[in-house]
Parts: sequence; structure tokens; C-alpha cells
Amino acid sequence: MAKIIVDGKEHECEEGQNLFQAIKAAKGRPLPHFCYHPALPVAGVCRMCQVEIEGVPRPVIACNAQVKDGMEVRTETDRIADVVQQILNFHLLHHPVDCPVCDQAGECALQDQYMNYGLYEASVDVEDKIHKDKVKPIGELVMLDAERCVLCARCTRFTSEITKTHEMGIFNRGNHAEIDVAPGRTLDNNYSLNTVDLCPVGALTSRDFRFKRRVWWLENTPSVCAGCATGCNMTIDHSEGTVYRCRPRPNVEVNSYWMCDEGRLLYHRLHDEDRLRTPVVAAEEGPRTVDWDEAYARVQSLLTADGGETRRVAVIASAHATVEELHALGRFADGIGAAKIGYRLEGSEMGEADDLLVSADRTPNAEGARRLGWSQFLGEELRAQASSDTVLLVLKNDFAAFDENGVDLLSAYAGVVVLGTHQDATMDLADVGLPVLSYAESDGLFVNEKGRAQELHASIAGPESARHAVVVLAELGRLLGKEFGWEDPAALRRDLVATEAGWGALATGIDRTGVLLDVVSDGAAIGAESGSEGGGE
Amino acid sequence: MADCPKILSARFEEPDSHTLAVYESHGGYTALRKALTELDPDRVREEVKSAGLRGRGGAGFPTGVKWGFVPQNTGKKVYLLVNSDESEPGTFKDRYILDYDPHLMIEGAILSSFAIHSNDCFIYIRGEYGWLVDRVQAAVDEAYAKGYLGKNILGSGYDLEMIVHKGAGAYICGEETGLINSLEGRKGQPRIKPPFPAVVGFLDCPTIVNNVETVAAVPWIVNHGAAEYRKVGTEKSPGTKLFSLSGPVKRPGVYEVPLGLPLEDLIFGEDYGQGMRDGIELKACIPGGSSVPILTAEETLDVNLDYESLAEKGTMLGSGGCIVIGDDANMPELLKVLLRFYHHESCGQCTPCREGTGWLDELVGRLIDGRGRPNDLELIEKLCSGMAGLTICVLSDAAVMPTRSFIQKFRADFEALLPRTQQPEAYVPTTSAAELGRR
Repeated sequence: MAKIIVDGKEHECEEGQNLFQAIKAAKGRPLPHFCYHPALPVAGVCRMCQVEIEGVPRPVIACNAQVKDGMEVRTETDRIADVVQQILNFHLLHHPVDCPVCDQAGECALQDQYMNYGLYEASVDVEDKIHKDKVKPIGELVMLDAERCVLCARCTRFTSEITKTHEMGIFNRGNHAEIDVAPGRTLDNNYSLNTVDLCPVGALTSRDFRFKRRVWWLENTPSVCAGCATGCNMTIDHSEGTVYRCRPRPNVEVNSYWMCDEGRLLYHRLHDEDRLRTPVVAAEEGPRTVDWDEAYARVQSLLTADGGETRRVAVIASAHATVEELHALGRFADGIGAAKIGYRLEGSEMGEADDLLVSADRTPNAEGARRLGWSQFLGEELRAQASSDTVLLVLKNDFAAFDENGVDLLSAYAGVVVLGTHQDATMDLADVGLPVLSYAESDGLFVNEKGRAQELHASIAGPESARHAVVVLAELGRLLGKEFGWEDPAALRRDLVATEAGWGALATGIDRTGVLLDVVSDGAAIGAESGSEGGGE
Repeated sequence: MADCPKILSARFEEPDSHTLAVYESHGGYTALRKALTELDPDRVREEVKSAGLRGRGGAGFPTGVKWGFVPQNTGKKVYLLVNSDESEPGTFKDRYILDYDPHLMIEGAILSSFAIHSNDCFIYIRGEYGWLVDRVQAAVDEAYAKGYLGKNILGSGYDLEMIVHKGAGAYICGEETGLINSLEGRKGQPRIKPPFPAVVGFLDCPTIVNNVETVAAVPWIVNHGAAEYRKVGTEKSPGTKLFSLSGPVKRPGVYEVPLGLPLEDLIFGEDYGQGMRDGIELKACIPGGSSVPILTAEETLDVNLDYESLAEKGTMLGSGGCIVIGDDANMPELLKVLLRFYHHESCGQCTPCREGTGWLDELVGRLIDGRGRPNDLELIEKLCSGMAGLTICVLSDAAVMPTRSFIQKFRADFEALLPRTQQPEAYVPTTSAAELGRR
């Protein structure tokens, strides 16, 4: 422990800690800066975070200083205010000041810092600003405007130190220095959009997002990426029912400050043409749109055998469903005595892992399903359960997309009811399709491959007719004369914590970085899931 | 100063002085033999430290002390990099050593490497000195052939590899960490400090960067001892220093002078510059290379050439690039030449330097072209205050120091360029917006 004095107030921190971080903690806000980033090596080039340290004659940059016990730091003196103003003045000298047409406006560090620390009488009167590349696509997803660049070198440090792909560099010298991709290269790695997040100004903008929505109209909802088992924390930026972009949310335990491009572009699926917006029932000419009452009536008729007795039910879970949805499905199956088949087709939804974030498992909640006692592979059991006396109920699982025999397998059942988000391959084979809310539209939990439970929060409302899967399961239970008594995912989480082993860590609440669940051995989980009755104890 | 020993320039005028034969015939490599057979590295370092030898590249930091910063027994290699990236305007003394006495530099580099326990030495020569690269390489080859370099030097068991490296021609690579980056194959940009190169330098190993002239003084110190070296120069600035004298003097050139010599003697002395060219009066002098503050004629005639005396006058000894300025010179134009240089050479990392050097260049250029604005001198001063002491390296300061001192000391020359008539305070529309709308 070390004590430092920041602007007259004593503050405790670690000896040797980065001074920028220590001051940020002490003051509750960061010093002005462009180049400093906690996950990148210090560049020390923007020169904005100057502070006075007692006993040191010149101002020093906090980002490259370390805390020493007893250090007295001043950040708000006239001298520092003057220095910061002047350095801002330099940053803006050749900047085009084109905020009205710049997509960064509203989340631009130059704008913010001018309003916080600048507000000086402009003395900029160069006769012609230096002109550099504008509107230059440097990769499939990234657009460069070199004139707006403040040469903080975050993007170049990211591509050389984090992805180690080295596409970008700073070329030329002095005030002709500019960022660009190396000759013959494009910024095409799977993490390219992180350079856009890192860019403090409008030099690098996302070709996916630019000009779609001014950022001050966006609402920000903390969530978790559904792209793979890593569970990168992200913020969903949305407005009036539309998701416009996803950005990584820092979590040093999971994704540091980054996420992959693939993951952050998944949101497009939410608004795809094939999104299931209303219940559908199979008809000769293809799926026919119906209302919920008619859909449930159709489910009822599927469940009723010719002799009037109720048919058996078998359920398929999903590694795309939330913990609450999976728990509800388990309760539902146990409650009506349904067979529990599993959540994944053998070998499906696996890809290549990279050495940064992407997991080989391209599902977000396989670990959650495993911990809830669901058996993983469904193929064999799907075959075993197939009979004209059984109705198959599928939750958020498009396994048919991975199995060419899907048609044959499913047609052996008395009926297929799918709770899903899209008109996908499995939905095409359904007798009844019920539209449910996606990961972006509901609260819930995903458990990543390391056993960390992380919260999703509903951002947009989802299609008007779509219902939460747990609500649909409760309603289906009612059709079968079974009252489950839950109305929302929160009730299921409470039930889970109260009744199932291994989820106690959730009892005290869960913060934005998630919570690590107790270790559950494979043996225990497999033991719990075997057969058609166990939903774990 | 006939009694001043020629420590650095003894052979500059000898025929074939660059050859090993001539160097040896003048007692060359005896210091190396002495060090390897009679002394140990610590002893060499102590001798240089007590001699008070200071870095001759510009900063004047005590060399022996700098060597002492190298951590021992880290398991890492230690490197000596000889900085021959001489690029400061007005400075051309290292090239004399490289051209006329390369073996002096080589022997000094071997001794310096020995003193810091280094077995790897690089000679980094600026790209524009292309022919000197060949010259030095030939001398290095001779030294290898004679067993002064390589394995087991002179049977002592000490090994040293020496590699001559040609830079690509950037002033900033003369800054020691810029040099290290350049030598590593990176862009020549100074590194943020700490860590300092003595601890984390070339290839992340302990590294000492010494100027050519600094290492060239080491053989004499080893041969004659620290006490003898201290007999020359002043108490705090012992020894001799090469000055490259340029400008309208009768005899410009490179002179070895004992530190503490009056600057007046360097310019007017019979042994040195021999006075101003006919019809030209002394107006000013930049004593230590273009980066240091300028002196007026009066100050020039009242200062000695040592670190402390020059500091008292608010300037620096720097690299010893003594630029004499006559009364025929146009001060704003001279400043513009310097600013164009710093603008061109700024590496562009730190914002104040990247933008400031260019802006200063533009402002002074605009003044000269008659397009100045009434408050330009105040604006220039304001820029300088945002540039000085706020960057990774001192290139920014190097642009500020001449700018401030030129304008402060020769303000009338600059004021003469300001527009005579007052500019309108602000734009006052003479036509109302409504009228404009009707047109």
C-alpha cells in the first residue's frame, strides 16, 4: 500500500501502480488523454495527461509514471490547465473540425476534451491545413479518415501487440505522419473493429455502423455475446427497437477490452428477413401465419392421440438458450414426464479456436446446459424416442441444419413444436412454430466455457408477437393441465438457486463482470442427466 | 594554446592518417594493450570517471557515471553503440575523426566496451556519411586482421565483435533511443523513458550509447591517466573538445580546444578562426550546434567554452557546432532555415513537436513573406511554451531554444516584419442577412 496526495486529497493505492490509473481512481474520472489505454503498451505520445509532481521541475505524463509512496500530484493547477489547452490546440491544428459530418461526433475524445479542458480562443490560423487520405476503406469493416487522426497509435499498437497481425502502421514523419495499412495489406483480421473502438476520434469508423444512427440517440444495454463459448462482454447499442451495433464491454476476466468482428456483427441476425415474428403452423403451401390461440390449439391437437389420450412429449434443449430457459424446459419436462433428449447434434456448432478470444465451441451456453444436467448429444436419443406416439418439443435449436436426415427423423414423430427465433431449417419442419425472444431481447444468464455466469439484459423489445420462451413453456404446461407458476426468467433464477446444487454463487447477486460458479465435475453432471427423468436434483 | 595536448586531433593532418600503419606508428592501440594486460574493466571505468570525461554528443553527461548504470550479471548481453549519426546543423566534428582517424574511434570503442563488459559493439553512422561507412569498415577490417577485434583480443581472453551500421539519414536517430530503434530495424523514433537504455536498451539488453568524440578520448585517458586529462580544461569541464567553426570567419574548420577557452579566442585567435571575414562584423554566435540558444555579439565576447560558463549565459556547449553569424545575416531568415530543419526532422510521435515545429516554421515563413499578423510574435511565444519540456525527447526543445532566443535577442529584426497597419479587429457585416437573402 502506498499513499499519494492528489490535488490535496490523500488517496491509497499500490506502490508502483500506474499513476494514470491511480489518479483516475482517486478523482473518479480519468485525466485528459488520447493515447493511453490500459490494455496497450504505453506510447506516451499525445502528451495530454500531464501532471505536476512535487519535486519534479517539469510536468510529467501520468501514463508513464509509477506511484511512489508519499508522492504529491497536482492535476488542476493553472500551469497544467495551460499546458493541456496548448496541447489540445496542437491536436486540433490540422484537424478538419468536420464534426457535423463526422460519425464519431458525440463520442469523440477531441470534442469531449475540448469541452472539458479547451474552450480557448482559437489561435489556429494556418493558411491551408495538411491534407491526407479521406474516406479510404482499409478493410472490409473499417473506414479511414487520416485527417481526423490524432496519431495516438492505439490502432497500430493493437494490430502489432494484441492481434500481432501488423496490418497498420504510421507512415511518414513529422506533421505528415499518417496511419494507414501497410502497402498491399488490408485490415482484415477478425478483430478489426476493435481499432474503431480504440480510435478516440473519427479517423477509424465502422463501415457497418457509420451513418446509421447518431450515437446520442442510442441506448446502451450491457449484455454478453452469443457467438461462442467465450462469452465476451458487450454493450448493445440500440434505438427504437433496432440494434445498431455491439461493442465490447471491458472484463479482464473474460475478454479484456476486445471482441471479435464475427461476434459483434451477429446482431444483424436479430433483424433478418427470416426472423419468426408470429406463430406459424405447417400447411401444404408452407408455414402459415396464425395467432397464438390458433397455434396453441394446433399444439393441443398434436398432443391428443386419436383415442383421446395425451401423447408423450420429448424435449430438445439448446446451448443457445439461457440458463433460465433451460431450467424452465427441465422443469417442464420433469413436470409432464417428458423425455429429455439433449442439446447438440454430434459434432455440430464447432469451429476453429483462435489464440485470442474465439472458442471452438460456437454456442454461448453449452456449459450452462451441462451444469443443468442436459446431456450433450442428441442424435441417438432423437432416433430412440421417435415414434408416432410422441410429440417433439424443440427449444431454440436448429439441429436440422446440421443433419441431412432431419426430415426423416422428425417425420417419425407425431408432431414437432419448435420454440425459435428464426424460420430456420428446423422451423421449416415444425408443425407449430412459436416465436420467442432472442438473447438480445430478454434477461438471462449464459455460462461461459470457464464456468462464469454472466448476465444478459433485454435491450430491444423484439417482434411484437414474440413471447419469452419461459412464458411459452408455462402456457404449454397449462395446455397439459400443469401449472408451473413462473412468469418471468427472474422467478426461474430464484428457483434455480433455491433448488439446484452448484448455483449458489448467484444467490448474492451478480455484477457486471459475472460470477464464477462452483466447479462441477463432468462425472457429476453426466450422472445427473442420464435417462429421461433427471433434471439434476 | 600551444601547451594544449592534441588528444583527438593529433593525426588529422597526417598523410594516410586513416590507416592502421600510421595510427600504430603514433602509438596507436597501446592503450588497448595496456588495458587488456594491466587493467581490468572497473579500473578503465574508474579512470574515465575520475578524468571527468563528459559526453560530447550534446548532453555533457559524465561518461564514467553513465557506464556505471549498466547492471552487472543480468545474464543479458551488454551493447555499446557508438553514435556517429552526427546531424546537428553546424556540427561536423565526428566526421573528422571517422575520416582522418577511424582507428582512434575504434580503439576508444574497444576500451569503452571492455569497461562496460560488452562483447558487442555497433558503430551507427548516418546515411549521408556514406563514404565514411566504407572508411570505417576498412579500418575495422584492419583491426580484425591485426587481432584488435574478434575473439581473444591480444591473447587477453576478451572478445569483441564490431559491426558498422549505416543509418538511413534521420536526425532523430542521433537521439540515443531513436538510434536503438533504428538499429533494431524499427522506425527511428525515441523511446519513452524510463526505462533508460543502460538498463533496457538495444534488443531489451543493457546498452550504452556514446558519441564518437567521447570514445575517442578514452585511449588518451587510459594511456596518460585521469590526472593528466584533468590538467586540461576546467575543474568541471576537464579535457579538450572539438569545435566545428562555421560562418563568415577567415578560417572555418574543426579545432580541438581546451575546455574553458574564451569563445572570442576560437573566433578570433590565430590558431583558430582568425577573425571575421573582411567587411563583416560579428553579430551573433550559436556556440553548440543549432539547438542551443543564440548569443549576441556582446555575450559571445564574454563567455568561455565550457559547460558551466555557457550555461551561465543561458546557452549550452552542446555538440560544439559553433556557428558564427555576421552583421550581413538576416536573423528571421536564419531562424526559418533552422525551423525548416526541425519541422522536417520531427519524428511526429509527440503532438506538441509534430504540430508545433511545423506551425513555427509556417509562422516565421509567413512573417518573412510579408504575410505576418500583428500578434504573430506573441503567438510564437505561446506555441513555444506548449512545446518546451513536454515531449519524449528534446527535439521539440531544440526547435524552441533557437526560436525563443532569436526573437528575444533580435526582436527588432522580427518586429520589422510585422504588418505596419492594424488589421481590422473583426469582420463587421455591412449588408444585413435580410438583404443578402433578397439578392
